[in-house]
Amino acid sequence: MMLHIKLRVLSGAAALGLALAQPAAAADTLKIGVPVGLSGANSVVAPSVVQAAELAVSEINAGGGVLSKQLELVVADDGSGAQGAQKAFDSLVFQKEVDVLISMETSAARNAGLPIVNRGKVPYIYTSFYEGRSCSPWMYVNAWVPEQQVAPIVDHFMSSEGAKSFFLIGSDYAFGRGMLEFTKKYIETKGGTVLGEEYLPMDGTDWTAIISKLKAAGPDAIITSTAGGAPNVTLTKQLRAAGVSIPYGNLAVDEGTARGMGADAAGIYISASYITGIDSEENKKFLAAMEKHFGGDLKTPNDLSVPQYEAVYLYKAAVEKAGSADPEKVIAALDEVSFKGPRGEISMNKQRHAPLTMYLAQVQADGSVKLINSFKDVDPGEQCPNL
Amino acid sequence: MSVLILDIVTTAAILFTVATGLMIILGVMKLINFAHGAFLTIGGYAAYITTLAGWSPWLAIPFAALVGLVLGLVVEIFIVRPLYSRPLDAILATWGLGIIIGQLITIAFGREVQFAEPPVSGAVEFLGLSYSTYRLLLVMVALIVGAGLTGLLYFTRFGLNARAVIMNEDLARGLGIDSTKVRLATFGLGAALASMAGALITPLISVDPNLGLPWLVNSFMLVLTSGVSIPGLLIVSLLLGGAQVVVSTYLSPIIGGLTIVVLAALILRIRPQGIGWGGS
Amino acid sequence: MSGETLTAPMAEALAAPRAQLHRVLRWGLFATALLVVAPFLLDTYTVNILIRALFLAALALTVDILWGYTGVLTFGQSAFFGVGAYACALVFTHYGFGPGWAVFALILGILAAMAVGLLVGWLAFYHGASPLYASIVTLALPIVLTQVVFAGGRYTGSSSGLSGFPTYYWDLEVWFWIAGAFLILVTCLAVLFVRSDMGRVLVAIRENEMRCAYLGIPVSRIKILLMVAMGAIGAAAGFGYAAFTNVVAPELTGFLLGTELLIWVALGGRGTIIGPVLGTIAIDVTSSYLSGSLPFVWKLIIGTAFVLVIVVLPQGLLPELGKALRRLLRRKPAPRPVPTLQVTASKPPGDEAEIPLVVEGVERHFGSLQVLQGIDFRVGRGELLSLVGPNGAGKTTLIRCLADGMEKSGGRVVIFGKDLGRWPPDRCVALGIGRKFQAASIYDTLTVAECLRLARYRLERFSLWQVTPVLQLPEAALRIVKETGLAERLDVEVRHLSHGQKQALDLAMVLALEPSIVLLDEPTAGLTKTERERIGGILTSLVERERLSVLLVEHDLNFVRQISSRVIVMHQGKIVLDGSVAEVVDSALVREIYAGSSHPVTEAGA
Repeated sequence: MMLHIKLRVLSGAAALGLALAQPAAAADTLKIGVPVGLSGANSVVAPSVVQAAELAVSEINAGGGVLSKQLELVVADDGSGAQGAQKAFDSLVFQKEVDVLISMETSAARNAGLPIVNRGKVPYIYTSFYEGRSCSPWMYVNAWVPEQQVAPIVDHFMSSEGAKSFFLIGSDYAFGRGMLEFTKKYIETKGGTVLGEEYLPMDGTDWTAIISKLKAAGPDAIITSTAGGAPNVTLTKQLRAAGVSIPYGNLAVDEGTARGMGADAAGIYISASYITGIDSEENKKFLAAMEKHFGGDLKTPNDLSVPQYEAVYLYKAAVEKAGSADPEKVIAALDEVSFKGPRGEISMNKQRHAPLTMYLAQVQADGSVKLINSFKDVDPGEQCPNL
Repeated sequence: MSVLILDIVTTAAILFTVATGLMIILGVMKLINFAHGAFLTIGGYAAYITTLAGWSPWLAIPFAALVGLVLGLVVEIFIVRPLYSRPLDAILATWGLGIIIGQLITIAFGREVQFAEPPVSGAVEFLGLSYSTYRLLLVMVALIVGAGLTGLLYFTRFGLNARAVIMNEDLARGLGIDSTKVRLATFGLGAALASMAGALITPLISVDPNLGLPWLVNSFMLVLTSGVSIPGLLIVSLLLGGAQVVVSTYLSPIIGGLTIVVLAALILRIRPQGIGWGGS
Repeated sequence: MSGETLTAPMAEALAAPRAQLHRVLRWGLFATALLVVAPFLLDTYTVNILIRALFLAALALTVDILWGYTGVLTFGQSAFFGVGAYACALVFTHYGFGPGWAVFALILGILAAMAVGLLVGWLAFYHGASPLYASIVTLALPIVLTQVVFAGGRYTGSSSGLSGFPTYYWDLEVWFWIAGAFLILVTCLAVLFVRSDMGRVLVAIRENEMRCAYLGIPVSRIKILLMVAMGAIGAAAGFGYAAFTNVVAPELTGFLLGTELLIWVALGGRGTIIGPVLGTIAIDVTSSYLSGSLPFVWKLIIGTAFVLVIVVLPQGLLPELGKALRRLLRRKPAPRPVPTLQVTASKPPGDEAEIPLVVEGVERHFGSLQVLQGIDFRVGRGELLSLVGPNGAGKTTLIRCLADGMEKSGGRVVIFGKDLGRWPPDRCVALGIGRKFQAASIYDTLTVAECLRLARYRLERFSLWQVTPVLQLPEAALRIVKETGLAERLDVEVRHLSHGQKQALDLAMVLALEPSIVLLDEPTAGLTKTERERIGGILTSLVERERLSVLLVEHDLNFVRQISSRVIVMHQGKIVLDGSVAEVVDSALVREIYAGSSHPVTEAGA
């Protein structure tokens, strides 16, 4: 434990030294900008995202790079929010002059970054699941949207658990509201009722009043969509401390966080386009490579980090197809390329979004995730009809 | 209805425990310790270290108190003492200190959210309801802390000296009380209490470098309206904490977060010395 | 005596504000030149972050005026910034976009900020409010506002904020010039303002707020107006920031930004205007560059620097650098402006028909402790009344009750027919009371001239942009200033004066109020024989020539015997004797009281 802390201090000092040394940028590299939430709500998952990108980059570089150019990762902290994202995007697009942006972010950060992407005319592959319908001529999305993710959980609750009434809890921001809005509509079209829909600001930690309302309403199941990291943890802890044990579907938690929550997370249903238990060649190879590359420091790959890995390869494919890193050509090429990764064959060809195979799973008491059902090639629906 | 009452009582207990450290510092030193949030965070990380080291989670509480005490003594000597005559500057300096502590914790532990093992978990049958065991436990903790502090203040020599300094420091010094030592000990005690409170609340929230911040302003407001007295603090914790729960439940949790701050500002406008009767 | 002809020194003095204005204009032009050229010399990224820094610098400037100059520790300027920013975003997102809408949104933001500033000011700056309470209110403000934004759900974007709304996508250079021009304009105006008469009032409030009330300065009103004005500027800066960055988020209205502003101002140098402006720009730009490479360490460095500056270098880094530079270049600090003294015809004291001072049944208690009881007396025109009695008799408390309507627990104080009621000290000054404190409580960092001018607040117009070149004083005050040598020390800071000179200045300030009733608390304490005689002479002439009423608390019984026309003896909170000098000074009762006799004190004649 002490070693762990010492390592951190040393690496902090080393980073300081390295940063001050500022090595000269090698000519003939392709820079991949990764603005990600190293601090703030996404700080829990950010390390896994960065690791996924690092593995992809090192594999591609070992294989000769892209059009014989080496890839270089440039990571910037977007603070998981609008202000930080502005600074991160500005720094990556205008100061570091990256060739492409590939990352996952909160919706607040993405919305703040898009104007800069549009101004800087840099291709942007958004690798995070989100509430849908964000469109820009410069952006592609390879992660899921509500049309793909909500149905498995709701259908399962209604059929296997016999749930008719639901209670929805979320963090008050674009993703939280967007997801629960879609969920409510879906539940109602399927004949269920929504007994309550409550939100807390992203930095809120006290769910007491909402939990009391939940218990008073007495629903058959809960569905939550809170911001990653702290809100997920605090809500789950407080729900369990209050003795809530009805079926609990979390639209926004990743395997790693769930694992770390220990016993409290047992029983949570997740619906994701990636779980570590996917039985495929590509996934096994990927997990082995991650294990080898990062060893003891490995952060569990999850539904937010694997799309990052695949996106880097998708970019490689697009550049090779276009024959150059020219932004306009790459944007056109991204519509046509595909990559077979841990999640299967990924292609962002449905209005800038990707059909995906979705998995319904449940977190077990020992932290592992048990697969319950899978749905192949779910369509993302009408996301950007004008593009 | 009974759930609401339990919510109010347990929320008040948590607020009280978190705010006591700030209050004794304000009472004796006439100073608002803006590093209070950072000490809460330190307590949270002490609990995390306890989990990492594999110790019993109950040990987290005294461990956190010890860490807080040591740090508090150091801070008093180097940062607070030189600013004795500049109270507004002391607020700023302790805020700066809070930033420093936050960054050091981030460098040492990383920005990710950490998990500390709670001593008890789950719910228990209480008054015919199923309610969180830990929250009920915290009510007992708050009462113990309140009783302990009252005992300290009224039945020990240190407490006598501290009360003298609270009422009139110049006179106390004139009577031979070493107010410097009293101030030093008080700051250490306040920091220890804050740190312990931080360890106590981690089972309900997550451990990250910004753990303490949301509690800082609410504690601050409660302490000022309490009139620097332990019963006063209990009363305002119940009143204002209760108001927060009621507003959160019946209006919206977002407005609820505002209740303590707004009510406190209004109370202080009408009665600047707070509703208690002790101290200054 | 009045209306002296224009002499050479006076002409010079009249030219001083012009010179000051020219100096500021020159710097402004220089800065503008730099502004015009800069975008072509700097790279795009730097220009980008500078634009944001320039708007934030204007905001930091408002914090400096409130905190550095007026002593109001405010955490809440970020709230006004946020109001302006959200006004821009909300109007452009939900209502419309175009030049008309832009003007509308800007005005809306400024008006909303001013309304909030008025509310906050009313809440925080009431008479008797402690500085800590004011800081608390400014702390609560951004927190409340952030929650209001959260509560707005989809309308305000809640935690996510609003972005991508239509705005003016001008070139970076254009935005740079807009932000820079705004900053330069605000800075120039601010520099003129803080060096003007009103600026000195702000410093006086910071140094000794209570004394200001006793000089007739309406402190609460000034602070409220200041907060409203600073709120308006903050909102304008926020509007520009939002229009440029095209993103608003709750962080813009928040408590963390509010504290960052304080850090920038403290590091740059509080109370210097330029310091915070340059400090903000430097720190914000550097942090943008470093946030990628060393995010945590940079914040740690800033936090440490902040704590060091507060504890060890409270003036800030820039003034320390300035001092060092000056020492290096062997340059003396710029001389303070010296106005010309001019006598002004005093108005006759109060309404001829009325008795100057009537005190009826005044009493003062603290809980069960009765400090004053049944105080009844009158003071006529041209009377010099001395209050004597042993320590603890309640003499100073009585003076306090006469100068501050809120002090007494019961009874009436009537001045020229007007009941004092519960008016605060500055209103009592308006009715004609002038109180001189026992200890000369003047403003250490202000000059003699500036202190004297403060006393003229009620009677003259105070400029917002210059130091009025002429200082008008009534004859009595002018006499003191000339006779004690203060006239040659008009540009000397008060902390460099001797004790006697400070007392003289204090008295001159009280007389400059042109009071009808002068209350003095032990005016001869610590004075030399010459100084005592001089004061005695002045007081006598005030009473005889100008028919003022003077009430003084005094222990020096010889002094009392020499100049008083009447003496009141107090003991244990009651008046025990009220008569002429002869009657009182030689009475057995007084001797008994002063000797601390063990017999109970009875009325005169026993």
